[in-house]
Amino acid sequence: MDINSVKAQISADLSSVNSAAQLEEFKLKHLSRKGTLSQLTAVIPTLPAEARAQFGQEVNALKNSVASLVAEKEINLTAAAGRDKAEQDYDIGMPGIAQELGRLHPITQTIDEISSIFTRMGFCIVEGPEIETEFNNFTGLNIPLEHPSRDAFDTFYLKDYEKLLLRSHTSPVQVRAMKSRKPPLAIVVPGRVYRPDAVDASHLFMFHQIEGFMVDRKITFADLKGLLELFAKAVFGSDIKMRFRPHFFPFTEPSAEVDISCIICKGTGCSVCGRKGWLEILGCGMIHPNVFRHVGIDPEKFSGFAFGMGIERIAMLKYGINDIRLFFENDLRFLKQF
Amino acid sequence: MKVTYNWLKDFVDIKIAPDDLAERLTMAGLEVVELEKRGSDFVFEIEVTSNRPDWLSVIGIAREVAAITKSKLINRKPGAQFKIKKAKEEKLEIRIENKKDCPLYTAKIIRGVKVGPSPEWLKSRLELVGCRSVNNIVDITNYVLFETGEPLHAFDLDRLSGYSISVRRAKAGESILTIDGEKRMLSPEILVIADERRPVAIAGIMGGKDTEVGEGTSNILLEAAVFDPVLVRRARQGLGLQSESAYRFERSVDPSVVGLASLEAAELIGKLTPGNVVLAKSAGSPRVTKKTINFDCGQAQRILGAAISPARIKAILLALGFRVNSGGKTKFSVKVPSHRRDVALAVDLIEEVARIYGYERIPPSLPSVKPQAVARSILDAVTLIKNILIGLGLNEAITYSMVERDLNSGLGPEERARAVEIRNPLSREQEVLRTGLLPSLVGCAGFNLNQKQDYVNLFEVACKFYATDKGPKEELCLGILLCGRKSLVLDQGMVKDEAGFLHLKGIAENLFSRLGIKEPAYSAEKEIIRVRVSGVEAGFMLKLSQALRERFDIKNRDVFVAEISLEKILPFLNLKRQFVAPPKYPVISRDISLLLQESLRIDEVFKAMRTAGGELLKDLKVADFYKGKQVPEGWRGLTISCIYRSDERTLTEAEVYPVHARVSAVLSEKFGAKIR
Repeated sequence: MDINSVKAQISADLSSVNSAAQLEEFKLKHLSRKGTLSQLTAVIPTLPAEARAQFGQEVNALKNSVASLVAEKEINLTAAAGRDKAEQDYDIGMPGIAQELGRLHPITQTIDEISSIFTRMGFCIVEGPEIETEFNNFTGLNIPLEHPSRDAFDTFYLKDYEKLLLRSHTSPVQVRAMKSRKPPLAIVVPGRVYRPDAVDASHLFMFHQIEGFMVDRKITFADLKGLLELFAKAVFGSDIKMRFRPHFFPFTEPSAEVDISCIICKGTGCSVCGRKGWLEILGCGMIHPNVFRHVGIDPEKFSGFAFGMGIERIAMLKYGINDIRLFFENDLRFLKQF
Repeated sequence: MKVTYNWLKDFVDIKIAPDDLAERLTMAGLEVVELEKRGSDFVFEIEVTSNRPDWLSVIGIAREVAAITKSKLINRKPGAQFKIKKAKEEKLEIRIENKKDCPLYTAKIIRGVKVGPSPEWLKSRLELVGCRSVNNIVDITNYVLFETGEPLHAFDLDRLSGYSISVRRAKAGESILTIDGEKRMLSPEILVIADERRPVAIAGIMGGKDTEVGEGTSNILLEAAVFDPVLVRRARQGLGLQSESAYRFERSVDPSVVGLASLEAAELIGKLTPGNVVLAKSAGSPRVTKKTINFDCGQAQRILGAAISPARIKAILLALGFRVNSGGKTKFSVKVPSHRRDVALAVDLIEEVARIYGYERIPPSLPSVKPQAVARSILDAVTLIKNILIGLGLNEAITYSMVERDLNSGLGPEERARAVEIRNPLSREQEVLRTGLLPSLVGCAGFNLNQKQDYVNLFEVACKFYATDKGPKEELCLGILLCGRKSLVLDQGMVKDEAGFLHLKGIAENLFSRLGIKEPAYSAEKEIIRVRVSGVEAGFMLKLSQALRERFDIKNRDVFVAEISLEKILPFLNLKRQFVAPPKYPVISRDISLLLQESLRIDEVFKAMRTAGGELLKDLKVADFYKGKQVPEGWRGLTISCIYRSDERTLTEAEVYPVHARVSAVLSEKFGAKIR
């Protein structure tokens, strides 16, 4: 038996071993009691004495090297088998396993987004009660009690409480905050408001507003324009156009309504903007001197601006929601989209 | 307010196209919501803000067009060739009961009119602005109303009793059949025009059917007057009766226009029918106080943040009909015309200047905000709470604060407070403020289950409202609802997790732990589990009774709800944390399997075990739990893991042995547990 041809045979056989079964076969053929290596050992006594030692050493070396190769092969095969086993254990196409994350209501997300734009600019958030006095809701804001300007603020009154009502806007918090704090003021106020409006796809008797105002010695209408431009671009994208239209609010003078170029049609006219190319998003103006007088701030020394917007309207525009009632149905298929 | 391009052109020379004009008007505060081509004319629909009654007339808008297009207003003076053919036998007395209710009343008697259809030009103009043509006389009064903003009324003179007209409050019990065919009950809050017998018109709102001008009318009394805006508003609201006339009176009309409007109408009547004015009378004289305002260009710049030249400011004010007397280079004294009752302060003038100058020409700038250190607010805590809850997989709901009256009861402890009611609810579904958040949440669950959702997990943070001796109170609360089952496909197959009280408790425990609120206590009392924090009643959990479920149309599903008052728990909020080093030494864990009576609470058992285990017993866990055949009735099987560890050294088995023996002994000795 030629040791070199055995060596070659073993190496060829081992390299073709690809499974545990084949390795067993290999062991049987070469390492068993009747295997090729044993046969080689059996040859030793038949050799001339001077050749025995060298041949013996060569056979031993071969045995050792085969043993280590087999061990290596075994490790490789086990690892490979391990991989196969793991792959058979799961189907990566199955849904993953995790605690499903809950979602914040889209109204909350919109309020958070808007307030954080202002808080990053240095505004602070203040809240106020939903049950308000007639004074804070109207008189303090320069809205006469019996005047058509009140028609825009149709209001729910409370039974059994003469002068109490559900606030019809967040502006009463202006009165509260300006009474209890001293300028400089930079405040945003989110919250629920109530108006007895007939319900349809864009009107509800309860909705949310966010109000902002700033009072200091040198606040101008130009500042209001600049600030709201930053705000609108942060919410609706830097490519929008904006316009300030003169308007009337009893609590601001001068007053304006702010339109942005329609985010759907980019200003060319579509059903969302009523073919006008513009979307009204908020009302604003310079705080009326009468409002300052009611809260004890001297309008000769201080000036300020205020703005307010409907959260639902902003969220509807942002997400393309076409019916305001969806916000309050709390359909999980709706809530889980945000 | 609708106005046409050609009608405007009667009063102002317009050099720009209708769509340009619409844009310019919009940007000056007269928002054109619709522009429509009708034949050879264009109709502008303008949204007029409540402060500008002067814009409720063609002339008023023409004045604005002149100012924004820098064009001249064409001043038409009616009555130039007008003569009264006074007849001696004509008699009329006007009595005004209270000058405050009616500062001015004018009447013209016109005899010999021939009532018939209006000429085409008149019909078409009225129709373009949305007014139906009736007959020539009525059409003329409407035409003048739209043109001047002063509402007029024509009575059939021969149907009036006697020779006097009085403007007085209606008497209790009086009524009138108005032109729209409705019988209206009157009251002393309502101002009427009356002849010697009865009310013939509701002042400023609508005339009576009896004295209406119709085919047979040949003599008329033409009324032009000023009525108190608040009185007209109240009567209009009380009667639920809106009219073009009331719309203008409640916004207040310009008294200086009354005479001109009456003249113009009389003149038109003379032109279109053979009628002659035979008597003109008036009573009252409105006190028109001409306001003067000091205007400072420096103040305008301080408010607007833009420098507009004094010359331009002056030109704008003049164009709008203000009279400007220079008191200096940058200071003017400005006289307010009678049609601008809305202008009272310098800021009103500043707005006028900015409006015509163009808001778009004021360059934007940025204010300097002075940073303010603000203490953590309730809102921060609420945001944290919401984020904890969504992390636990709950979805935030927002529901209405108002509910149906009977939905307020039965969903919480019976001592629930009295509800605050809405005086003017829209419907029965929103007639009271909710005294708890749960009815609305259960409603949402019903809705979602109907949409075939298997698992509904919602929360809401909002106020509940109730009446107290000191008035209505609002209290910020958290409502949680769990219902249905979650299915999870794990290695071992599908696992169903059915919502229950312990799920609610798990949410509460996580919440309190993250908020640093210590040792909340949960105690079962009847059907309700009460939650207390430091001894303060903070909320409750309950499973909806079948009756309640049925009310919300929920079938075959258990619904678990919790309400926690944030107002009650937030005082215990503690977000300060003191670092504790992770343990250095290993634990020794010992399991105990036992049978425990079902009536015993595990947390009580744990408490006793902790006392027995002392310092070394670091933790106790329920490792297994079983009921069923192997366990006797009234008992449950449990495996409890006891975790022992020392903070100072590695514990030995020998050290743990006596401690664990004591801990185990408590179970059998104190609670009669059977150790297995």
